[in-house]
Amino acid sequence: MNLSQLGVGQKALILQAPVELPVKLFEMGCLPGEEVELVFAAPFRDPLCFRVQGTLVSMRRELAELIPITEPHVG
Amino acid sequence: MSAKRALRVALVGRPNTGKSSLFNRLTGLNQKVGNYPGVTMEKHVGLAKIGAGALAEVIDLPGVYSLHPSSDDERVVMQALTTNSDAERSDVVVGLADGTNLKTCLFVFTQVLDLGFPAVLAVTMVDEMERRGAQLDIPALESALGVRVVPVNSRTGLGFDQLQEAILGAKPSTQGPFFQPAGAHLPWLQKKQECIGAGLTYRAWLDGLSDPDFAESVRASGRSPERARADEAIQRYRWVNQWLRKVYHYDPVRDRRAAARFDRIVVHPVWGSVFLFGVLFVLFQALFYGASVPMDAIDGGIANLASWLHGVLPSGFLNHFITSGLLPGIAGVLIFLPQIALLFFSIALLEETGYMARVVFIMDRFMRPFGLSGKSVVPLVSGTACAIPAVMSTRNMESARERWLAIAVTPLMTCSARLPVYALIIGLVVPNTPWLGISLQGLTLFGLYALGFAAALVGSALLNRMVPRQKATHFLMEMPPYRMPIARNVATAVWTRSRSFVVEAGKIIVSISIVLWFLANSGPKGLPDFSASYEPMPIEESYLGSIGRGIQPVLAPLGYDWKISVAIASSFVAREVFVGTMATLYSVDGDDIAPVRARMADEINPDTGKPYFNLAVGVSLLVFYAFALQCMSTLAVVVRETRSWRFAILQFTAYAAVAYAAAWIAFRLISYLTL
Repeated sequence: MNLSQLGVGQKALILQAPVELPVKLFEMGCLPGEEVELVFAAPFRDPLCFRVQGTLVSMRRELAELIPITEPHVG
Repeated sequence: MSAKRALRVALVGRPNTGKSSLFNRLTGLNQKVGNYPGVTMEKHVGLAKIGAGALAEVIDLPGVYSLHPSSDDERVVMQALTTNSDAERSDVVVGLADGTNLKTCLFVFTQVLDLGFPAVLAVTMVDEMERRGAQLDIPALESALGVRVVPVNSRTGLGFDQLQEAILGAKPSTQGPFFQPAGAHLPWLQKKQECIGAGLTYRAWLDGLSDPDFAESVRASGRSPERARADEAIQRYRWVNQWLRKVYHYDPVRDRRAAARFDRIVVHPVWGSVFLFGVLFVLFQALFYGASVPMDAIDGGIANLASWLHGVLPSGFLNHFITSGLLPGIAGVLIFLPQIALLFFSIALLEETGYMARVVFIMDRFMRPFGLSGKSVVPLVSGTACAIPAVMSTRNMESARERWLAIAVTPLMTCSARLPVYALIIGLVVPNTPWLGISLQGLTLFGLYALGFAAALVGSALLNRMVPRQKATHFLMEMPPYRMPIARNVATAVWTRSRSFVVEAGKIIVSISIVLWFLANSGPKGLPDFSASYEPMPIEESYLGSIGRGIQPVLAPLGYDWKISVAIASSFVAREVFVGTMATLYSVDGDDIAPVRARMADEINPDTGKPYFNLAVGVSLLVFYAFALQCMSTLAVVVRETRSWRFAILQFTAYAAVAYAAAWIAFRLISYLTL
């Protein structure tokens, strides 16, 4: 699964991410093992806004598709 | 630190941590907006009295997530913190951390500490922190970081005395390093250290990972520069998380629910669009109608001053120059102030509350095909009132490329100065009869607005394809929490913007209008009459008239006679001058549209014996004014914002070429169809 497949309100853990991702993503706190939640999405589900480490980070879907996650859990 | 210059204090922190609020509180209005060398980014520097009478220079560096450069913002910050020049180097760094979100803020602060700066950590948003029941053990955090930690409230000024005292007594961290490059990295680090003569390992690490010459050496250590940075992020966050667990207790779940519920409305496909439309509608109304009262007051006030001076001053050349050359030039600068102030007031409110980031978020998908992001919505919408504040509003775009695109196409939007020209011509050539119950004149005006908007989007899409993208930049943005705006921040934004327009663009506008005045008041037959019996020169005998006649053969294929050509030449000042010049040329008193239009309707084309202003000439003129960049104030602002005369001249030329081609096609086509 990847980050773009998360439903609004669903949470999951970030898995080991590929190296091609922008390093800024890591520096903003999106690190492997952290919990992410899809908080809201723009029309057409692009871009998407996630909560990671207590901050809201928004990104386009093309980037979210590159980030592998675990199966989502609610709550 | 040398004793000769003032203490230099740099503010470093993530975006949305209240950095500008702290800066405004420290420096008041003692601040200057400059530019960083080589990038179109604003540099805010201010003077602050710190402690007993000592003046310090405070630099508000752009908000960054990391010191490693991924964008221009970060490059500027890294440059400022790693420079070897004594004149540029900061003596103390104040790190900022949002008390409701310490974790990610401490990441960049530990990077600053590893650079060896004497530093202080200011914890902001303490009122919000208390309200939410967050608890921070400050002494424990101080001993973990090895520097002073001071909670501050920029709204009330609480904690600022302690902050100033801490700045004066700042020392490098007694703890750390918080990240230690090791293993296979050591050989290249040592080489880099020798290159730059730095004692600190982290300084060499920071420099080396962004230095293309070192990329190979880094790869030889088995890691790519990107991977090495990611490793650093992981290590630092591990340290931060481990410490925060001990010193910081906060359960944010309750507050999140309310914000998240609000966000679901604001970004909702239907309700979000309705809300955004409402906000933009109010903004547009404010710019269009709210600004008209002070604009009329400025216009009338300066006209009164001019006529009073005209009576008081001895008659002659100087009198005429001051009252009809210089004063109208100054009026041409001041007239834009109400719109600029109102637009920046609205933008500051939208940014301070956190809504602007949501606008960007909602609109991003729609603007993307045109090479723009959600941020360009504000300049484009403002451009329908006036391109000048609109071009200035592109300043908050982070991507330089996107900002240049927005500046390039914003003047295509139909601004209010085009309306008098449109009203004159539409009334002249479009019949005032309804067609299927719709006013044809109204339909034409709507068509011109649509033409401007379509031209802006198509233009941007074309430029986006033509100008190669150097590097893929990712749209990665932090969504700030909703906050109550701070009045001081809004006021400072309005003040610094307005002042920079009057001082910098104003210089250019006044000079050009004086030059144009001289061109209109002296001619090949002689200089202006300097004697007491000064009489203004008839415009057809002036240099401006000669220029108009000179370009007439060029404009003839568009269907324009010498009078229109003169009016086009003189309306380079501003489009609405077209109406006044036509009035002068047809010897009609006053600037009112109706009498000029009546006189123009009587004009007969000597070649055909029919009315000169037929549909073909009219539409050709409308199309010409839709595209041509006939506004020296816009060009002055473009020069100021892009720091490039070349950009403005290229833009003017490109607009003129498109205007010429489109007007020619319109004239030919309609002449052929109505033959």
